[in-house]
Amino acid sequence: MKRFHLLAAVVVFVLSLLLPLVVETGYALQILFRIYLFAALGLAWNLVGGYAGQLSLGHAAYFGAGAYGLALFSGKLGVSPWLAALMGVVVALACALLIGGVSFRLRGPYFVLATIAFAEVVRLIAKNLPNVTGGDVGAQVPALFHGNVNRAFYWAAVMLTALAFATTVAISRARFGYYLMAIREDEDTALSVGIGAARTKLVALLVSAALTALAGALYASLFLYIVPDQVLSIDVSNEIAIVAMLGGAGTVLGPIVGSVVLESASELFKDIFKEAHLLIYGVLLVVVVLFLPEGIIGTLAAFLRRRALFGGIKAGAKGVAAD
Amino acid sequence: MSLLEIDHVSKRFGGLRAINDVAFSIEENEITFIVGPNGAGKTTLFNLITGVFHPDEGSIRFQGQDITHISPNHAARLGIGRTFQLVKPLRNLTVLENVMLGAFLHTSSPSKAAEQAREVLKYLQMEKAMHFTASGLPVAMLKRLEIARALATKPRLILLDEVVAGLSTAEALGLAELLKKLPEWGVAAVGGVEHVMQVVMSIAHRVVVLDHGTQIAEGKPQEVVRMPAVIEAYLGAKYKELGL
Repeated sequence: MKRFHLLAAVVVFVLSLLLPLVVETGYALQILFRIYLFAALGLAWNLVGGYAGQLSLGHAAYFGAGAYGLALFSGKLGVSPWLAALMGVVVALACALLIGGVSFRLRGPYFVLATIAFAEVVRLIAKNLPNVTGGDVGAQVPALFHGNVNRAFYWAAVMLTALAFATTVAISRARFGYYLMAIREDEDTALSVGIGAARTKLVALLVSAALTALAGALYASLFLYIVPDQVLSIDVSNEIAIVAMLGGAGTVLGPIVGSVVLESASELFKDIFKEAHLLIYGVLLVVVVLFLPEGIIGTLAAFLRRRALFGGIKAGAKGVAAD
Repeated sequence: MSLLEIDHVSKRFGGLRAINDVAFSIEENEITFIVGPNGAGKTTLFNLITGVFHPDEGSIRFQGQDITHISPNHAARLGIGRTFQLVKPLRNLTVLENVMLGAFLHTSSPSKAAEQAREVLKYLQMEKAMHFTASGLPVAMLKRLEIARALATKPRLILLDEVVAGLSTAEALGLAELLKKLPEWGVAAVGGVEHVMQVVMSIAHRVVVLDHGTQIAEGKPQEVVRMPAVIEAYLGAKYKELGL
């Protein structure tokens, strides 16, 4: 069972890498890039929002830190692009440390409010420091790849998704993953069995922020130019969260499925419905929240688990639940 | 040195004296019950011992170490397990996973944690429910799950808050039979109960009686039920003369 899952993941990964041999148009590759990028972002968000149950609607801050880190460390300080991208990750980690360190001590809706506020503050700072960030005019971003860029960025997004996926699988099978779920289910209970809840949540947020910043750097470098209202907007935060929730928060596959469905649907609707595609998008979300509150994978897993338990199939019930 | 020493502890919430100058100690491998009506301060006392609240006066020592200002997760690491009066299962996890979370305190390996969790579940006669999610369990099972999760942390002391509340007499006595074996696990227990004296009398080595946050009696179960102060608190002053 487990070996089969691993094999399936490797096959999908290899096929994804081979896809550009068939798909060659830049437009199609850019859509695929976006699907994988948001799969990676959803997976990153899922560690905090899904497994640990700490709703973040401010992941744009880490995304923007990665994007602006690459643009500014390279553009202003002359650091090489890849090193600048890593420095952007460090900035994102510092943001996560600040926001998590303060708000994870509190219970209730404080964390989600703090994430929104923090991301908005970062966006406003970026808008109002023209000497540093270029303000509303924006900043140029160095290219991380040369040559056939669409193909290279697509591959990079696939690799990033694979990294986020492997991280998620490793965490979900380790004690750390169980700790995150315990905190999500009941923080008092988590404390009563000795889990340092604040610290555990913080570690999850740091991992999440680092992956998100890498995605931000990739995104920025593909378009070569960024403005605060694009990479730091609350729309980015929302889309990341929605991808994970649509597919199934707290599941390994959910964010990937969510990204495939949401990104391809929004691309499709953009063509068919023109300006009305946002409306369709909104209706789709309402339907999901009402009828699939656990997301696509969550609902499917619950169905299979019930069937396994009550159908007398004893083996595998746990495996379906976890995966 | 006692396992747990409660040294003249008081706790106020605004104008309410929830715990007023309570002092007693718990010995190793002993089952003590704290008896008192609703609002007597049992849960507050448990929250003070596990660091959810901190006393305004007095101090608490565990294995000789001052734990007056400890945090809840640190208390668990020192060897103080607890159950919650209003059960707090990890609802979307299976029974086994719930108990594994206790076992993770001493091992980082999921397979070892699962093995230890199975042992605890066997003792509490819950193996059959192992793969069910906790959200679907009946109350009697949820109460046992609370105990199983706490026991899996291998505590030296386990605090059982209203562990038989909401159970039928048969269920309560069944659970009491299991609790009797706790000392075999090297665990001392402090149970809090409202009035299920059948359970208290059958398994308690010692009883502490609380009334409105004040400790009105302490001793062996048979002695305590004859103390005038206890009879008065429970039945009213006029029954004192009857010498029940």
